[in-house]
Amino acid sequence: MTIRIGTVAAAAICAGLASAPAWAQDYQPWEQELYDAAKSEGGVVWYVSQTTSEMANALCAEFTARYPGVNCDAIRATGSVTFQRVMQEVQANAVQGDVYSSNDDTDFMEMQKYDALAAYTPHNIEYMLPSMKAAGNQDGYWYASNISPYGIVYNTDLVSADEAPKSWKDLLDPKWKDQLAIAHPGFSGSMSMFTVALEELYGWEYFEKLEANKPQIGRSVSDGYNLVVSGERKIAIAPITLALGGKMNGKPVDIVLPEDGLMLPPSGTGLLAAAPHPNAGKLFEEFLLGKEAAEFLAGQNRYPLRGDVPTAEGVPSIANVPMITANPETAAQKVGEATEMFRDTFGI
Amino acid sequence: MSTTTLTNVASRGGATRPRVGFLNRFQPSSLAFLGMSLVLVVLIVAPLTMLLVKSFTDPVTGGFTLANYIDAYGKARHVQALINTLYMGAAVVVLSLLFALPLAWGCTRTDMPFKNFVRAGVFGAFIIPPYLGGIGWILLAGPNSGWINRVWQGLTGSDTSIVNIFSFEGLVLVMAINLYFTMFVLISAAFEMLNSELEDAANILGAGPIRTAWKVTFPLVLPSILGSALLTFLVCIALYGVPALISIPARFPVVVIQLAEFFSFPLRIETAAAYSIPLLLITAALLLLQRMILARKGYTAVTGKGGERRLVRLGPWRWVLFGYSLFVVGLSVAMPLLVLVMAAFGRSWVGGLTLSNLTFENFDYVLFEHATSQQAIVTSLGLGAVSATVAVLLALSISYIVQRRLVPLSGVLGYLCMAPFVIPGIVLAIAFYAVYALPPVALYGTYTILALAFVTRFLPIAYTTGSAGVRAIHPEMEEAVRILGGGRLYAIRKVVAPLLKRPLAAGWLLIFVPAAQELSTAIFLVGPKTRVVSVVLLDMTEEGEMEKLAALGTVLLVIITAMVMIGIRTLGRDFMVRRS
Repeated sequence: MTIRIGTVAAAAICAGLASAPAWAQDYQPWEQELYDAAKSEGGVVWYVSQTTSEMANALCAEFTARYPGVNCDAIRATGSVTFQRVMQEVQANAVQGDVYSSNDDTDFMEMQKYDALAAYTPHNIEYMLPSMKAAGNQDGYWYASNISPYGIVYNTDLVSADEAPKSWKDLLDPKWKDQLAIAHPGFSGSMSMFTVALEELYGWEYFEKLEANKPQIGRSVSDGYNLVVSGERKIAIAPITLALGGKMNGKPVDIVLPEDGLMLPPSGTGLLAAAPHPNAGKLFEEFLLGKEAAEFLAGQNRYPLRGDVPTAEGVPSIANVPMITANPETAAQKVGEATEMFRDTFGI
Repeated sequence: MSTTTLTNVASRGGATRPRVGFLNRFQPSSLAFLGMSLVLVVLIVAPLTMLLVKSFTDPVTGGFTLANYIDAYGKARHVQALINTLYMGAAVVVLSLLFALPLAWGCTRTDMPFKNFVRAGVFGAFIIPPYLGGIGWILLAGPNSGWINRVWQGLTGSDTSIVNIFSFEGLVLVMAINLYFTMFVLISAAFEMLNSELEDAANILGAGPIRTAWKVTFPLVLPSILGSALLTFLVCIALYGVPALISIPARFPVVVIQLAEFFSFPLRIETAAAYSIPLLLITAALLLLQRMILARKGYTAVTGKGGERRLVRLGPWRWVLFGYSLFVVGLSVAMPLLVLVMAAFGRSWVGGLTLSNLTFENFDYVLFEHATSQQAIVTSLGLGAVSATVAVLLALSISYIVQRRLVPLSGVLGYLCMAPFVIPGIVLAIAFYAVYALPPVALYGTYTILALAFVTRFLPIAYTTGSAGVRAIHPEMEEAVRILGGGRLYAIRKVVAPLLKRPLAAGWLLIFVPAAQELSTAIFLVGPKTRVVSVVLLDMTEEGEMEKLAALGTVLLVIITAMVMIGIRTLGRDFMVRRS
């Protein structure tokens, strides 16, 4: 903690010496108001399963750099672990988190049943891509906050581009026996969305055949990616942005956009009704949709959510790629059952 | 920790006293008894009662129901997890015994060379928490890219793998390399108390050293073996970290993973409680069984006094035994530690020891960029210290009351102190959550609930240390103080406390190390501001970023080792093999 306070202090001093007027001009009036209120609250606690912990911590650092004096603690775990923690707090009537980000929007519907969410429509939402704006909740209880499509990631030292599977169906080829890594829908929110979406596409048969290839089952989709990086497994179902970032950093990985459709999990962010730091939470939501965050994401080979920030070079456009997704409304009824079926089929 | 303590407590607790008037009973000692009873009710009786009550409670209506048990055990998969767990526990006990027994015998009863080196190595297994041992072994024995498989493939040119950590065998190995430490300590202590007369008799009658050991020495330490086997079994079935790392990829469902499923949303505390009750009954039954087995025979040879103790001369076999000790220490400490540290300093853990792979980025990340890990290290050390201190003081007070028989029925307190011994850590967390996290007590997300749970979890260790210490002090010294006019508290302060300094400090250290690394109980009780380092590590393992979590693990190990070294320097090296 001491170091972090130190960093904050250093940032504050730098801001004071060099760019204080620049910062001050930078803030919109509503933003300044939120910032002042957030400063008196101290900081924000962000429960997140949407990104890797590295990305979550980097976003937090960006946030504090833009708003000196407002701390940011990112608590990253898989979707259902994070959701369990939040709901444990809600049910214990002791909410300690402020902002919740998930790859499984059915979480937000569950939370609404407990009146656990606060309605807040960020000012920055007007700059969002129209499709993203439409993907959120129209009453402002949550908004779409991440574009992280899932495709197939392979290790380029072990698999050539020709050999690599071209579609989700190709994963069933016996040549991938013991060479595939997937996540567990009982832990990973995006994997549970994937399970629902692929079941709709190909029926449960798909997973029974997948089981014949004995995939290695981890808790998070990031685990599958890291297994491919280390060469432990040749291919994995993983976020393509994560793999693109790795590829640019010289890791032996590449991606395939599956012919039968990139999987786009419905990723949202919402503010908790009982958030102990509501203003810091609102400010953080604004930040996630702000230009700085979008530029930061683009710089990390992620997809920015705003129309005014272009995607980085080398990141494939997903505008004309076939997409599959799970509709949160229908997925909400299926997700529990699909997870149970997964447990029965894969035996864990 | 040993069950003899329980027996002693039982036989002494029922001592009769002359009848006294009602008001006269409110002596300072009775008040202390009441106070201690109250504390134990908070720590042990209330959570366990709540667990039992919840298991029969309908979550919606609050009425009586058996439906939770049907939910918990109505699926074949759920029952299978319980069977798997018992099977795993038994296998871990056998393997731990194969590790611990020869090493303990070698270090205490034979002329095996480099005993202190072996002891220090075994002690390493105590410092490395189970989940870090597990991570080390994933790097060593990952089915395709683990070090062992790559070295094998490099040496033989073959492209097949020889080991796979993600298997039942892997799970058992990772558990055993951590848990054999306790067995080693308890069995060593028993070996040290034996005298050589019976062994001499066997020798005179023509038995060689191995035959003597097998026929005479080992049967004599059977109580310790059984006691430590039971303890290992209990700890094993309740560990959360290792199954989360290994049994999910190994497709080997166990109870703790199932409990975590009940604990995920929708939170089913009632079902989790119902699922835990058979586990409690099984452990209680095992405890009973152990006592029945021991009750039928006499083990009075283990008197701890008189007789001469000589080392068995093994001849060339001593080198065989030493080689085996090296093998065990290699498996449990040296190999996992080596790959862990290599990964911590590597860009990629598969990269190995090359200059281009060397980096400090992982340390920089976990220490300065990761939002909660720095705070978590401080929290863990603080909680470990507070829990160890409270547990030791509490256990000392209770041992004193029990050993000096200050009030009737004081033996009950002793029983209660040992009760958490049979409660799996994860079940304890569920019970604590049910009583103290929810309103009206509403301790969720506080340090208090973690400290309370840790004190409870480690009370048996503290009590065993404390009561052994108090028992070793003859009351006549305190009586002398009292005859000369000093009160009981004065006697405690001036006589008992100074004499107990050393055993208590040793007990403190034996609690501090596991408490600062505790995961199984912490996992359901931490809040965002009270994260402990084990939970941060567990969250990191989900993503499989081995290099970063190896760096955080290394930092934790360095700090804990430094604290233990200071402790050892103050206490003397042999504190972990004390006679208890």
